[in-house]
Amino acid sequence: MSRALLCSVLELRAPAATASSMRPCTLQLQTRLFNQTAAHIEPTMASSLPPAPPSKPRRDYGKMAPPKKILPNPPRPRVPTGPTTPPPTGPLNPSVRTLLPLLASQPGHYLSVHIHGRPYLVTEGDSIRLPFRMRGVEPGDVLRLNRASTVGSRDYTLKGEPWVDERLFECRAIVTGSETEPMRVKEKTKRRNRRVVHKFSKHMYTMLRISEVKICKDVVEVEQA
Amino acid sequence: MTVSGLPKISTGRNGVGAFILQCKKLNFHYCDWAGSSKGMNTFIKTLLPQFAAAHPQIEIVVSPRPRKHPVIVGQYINGRERNVCVKNMEPLRILQRAKYLRDASGEKVKRVNKPVQSINESVRGVWSPYHGNGMAV
Repeated sequence: MSRALLCSVLELRAPAATASSMRPCTLQLQTRLFNQTAAHIEPTMASSLPPAPPSKPRRDYGKMAPPKKILPNPPRPRVPTGPTTPPPTGPLNPSVRTLLPLLASQPGHYLSVHIHGRPYLVTEGDSIRLPFRMRGVEPGDVLRLNRASTVGSRDYTLKGEPWVDERLFECRAIVTGSETEPMRVKEKTKRRNRRVVHKFSKHMYTMLRISEVKICKDVVEVEQA
Repeated sequence: MTVSGLPKISTGRNGVGAFILQCKKLNFHYCDWAGSSKGMNTFIKTLLPQFAAAHPQIEIVVSPRPRKHPVIVGQYINGRERNVCVKNMEPLRILQRAKYLRDASGEKVKRVNKPVQSINESVRGVWSPYHGNGMAV
């Protein structure tokens, strides 16, 4: 009874101050190109609706704890800012200078790209299922893979020691989403003990599609750059 | 001998040219009476508008499903559906589940042993005993 009175008293006292306390919540959205056609993004609902009438004041919680916030954390920057090695400079191996144009001119190429140290032998258009869920990526993000231990074609192979020079090839992968494995069960028990604990696992794995594999043809230009 | 083109069925490789998100529709079902739908109701009021604005290519439908647990049903381009029951979940956990449905491709969940899947022919060609260095005897 007293709480209802308190509420009505507050309402009478400060109707103008209430509008500012009930702001519509907005998050910074990163716009990304999902597909080649221009995306039509509807304006946020708050801007398209007519201005709301002044609403009732929030309940005075007094001794009660304020309501928990349920908004997620503000999104982190999309481009990773981890430590990156500087691009390689300097002259190339003479065998690379003479034979790379021949490698590049052949019709098919393969790369042995390394993601977190693990090699994947890929050609253009392959799909890779990584053995982990990559954090901070969403479907449609493009990754430039710069670590390759082997670049090859039908008759020529370029082996890196341990990595192939980054300037000599371009490999891009697009994140197509993530898949789960089927649920698996691990039974944990000890000898001569009838109690069996069942542990369930269902991991998620990021899927990539190699969208581009390009070997550079102009070696001289690469060396001078 | 007549010269003719080799018949080849064109296979789509999503991502090589253009990338199209496989999830085309998400249905969010809530209930006003069920206690298990409390988190879902809060999610629909607070987090769903931003999620929907960030994904203009997904059709999002919110409808009541009375006297049932709250559920999210995702429909994919290959015609299949995937559903997730979000009973008794917090709004942020429900957002995680919605993202899980968005990332899925709609294919049936299968165990895959090899990481790389390719339809291209081998680059170096199939081994033949008549070409190359041969076997030293």
